[in-house]
Amino acid sequence: MRLSVAAAISHGRVYRRFGLSPRSRLDLLRNLVTALVRHERIETPWARADEMRGYAERLIDYAKRGDKDERAMRMADFWLTEKDLIHKLFKVLAPRFQPHPGSYTRLLQIPNRDGLDRAKMAVIELKGNPLPPLVRPRRDSDKTLLNQLLKGYRQDAQRAAAP
Amino acid sequence: RVSSDGKPPKFQPPPKPVIVDRKTQKEERRFLSPEFIPPRGRTDPLKYYIERKDMIQRRKVFNIPEFYVGSVLAVTTADPCASDKSKRFVGICIQRGGKGLGATFVLRNVIEDQGVEICYELYSPRIQAIEVLKLEKRLDENLMYLRDALPEYSTFDVNMKPVPRMAHEEIPLNKLQVRMKPKPWSKRWERPKYNIKGIKFELPEHKMKAAQKWSQPWLEFDMLREYDTSKIEEKIRKELNEELEK
Repeated sequence: MRLSVAAAISHGRVYRRFGLSPRSRLDLLRNLVTALVRHERIETPWARADEMRGYAERLIDYAKRGDKDERAMRMADFWLTEKDLIHKLFKVLAPRFQPHPGSYTRLLQIPNRDGLDRAKMAVIELKGNPLPPLVRPRRDSDKTLLNQLLKGYRQDAQRAAAP
Repeated sequence: RVSSDGKPPKFQPPPKPVIVDRKTQKEERRFLSPEFIPPRGRTDPLKYYIERKDMIQRRKVFNIPEFYVGSVLAVTTADPCASDKSKRFVGICIQRGGKGLGATFVLRNVIEDQGVEICYELYSPRIQAIEVLKLEKRLDENLMYLRDALPEYSTFDVNMKPVPRMAHEEIPLNKLQVRMKPKPWSKRWERPKYNIKGIKFELPEHKMKAAQKWSQPWLEFDMLREYDTSKIEEKIRKELNEELEK
């Protein structure tokens, strides 16, 4: 009994499969988008965060059209299950991202989940959020060649300026 | 006419005629043939650019008129077996498919009670002339349901005269609702996935309601499936206009 091989091939498919059905997949992503708009930084499995990223950025593009736009309002109404966030989307997030042409989110990987499934986790956040930054920009250590040369140059300059 | 003080009235020159130069006013073509718009995918845009150059070359030599799904066309192709070495077919365009040089259109007509559909390639060198007999649009992009409609909706006179049309007029939208033959049909046209507006469904209410079970209302909110072609279209339109002016 040979099961169909064609059903297992998914060359060129861009949308991942989540949940029980396409409707369920959209509901899942919708919950994540709502959570992102509410908390501005969430921690989920990497695949869900990656899938959700596109929808979140397109939602912000729609919000940039303004709340007078009928289609933008319908999209926001569908995608945000908690209706107080629609106000936040149009009045806070849209002006915040008005100067940027795209890429309003940041996706960073995290150590795997502690439970039995050891899932690949990620943190997705909206840029410009009020929370403390995830990545602290580290300066290079003093021992690198460039820094040593610069240190030597600074010391020479001080010695020349001192007397 | 009685003059003011006995002398003949002062000569009033007639007002200068305002010459409205139609040519400079609006000459840009606002219609972009759908096969120029590249589909969404991972193919290299170079392929579409090269195809577009070849399409423009062909269009400079041979005139492909503007037409839509639902317009009646007459196509003359070259045929070695015919006595005149050419064949003429008249029909209504039911579908325009393909992108680039392989763009096709299907013409349908009913000849001696037999429905005939011929799929022609727009850029094939065998095509000698394409004439638009009646330019109009219909409510749908795809008129495949005419196969299951009554034959009167697909019959067109082979010696039909072209319907005269003023330039710079709106393309007329034919809101005709077609009556169908009894079921079974080749496809279940009442289902929402086909989204057909041009059929007058005479099915009972419970059948129409049952068909709505297959509707996917979340699809219109699925933002990643949208393909916005406005910017691409503008670029291609400008490119086309420049090339064809040369």
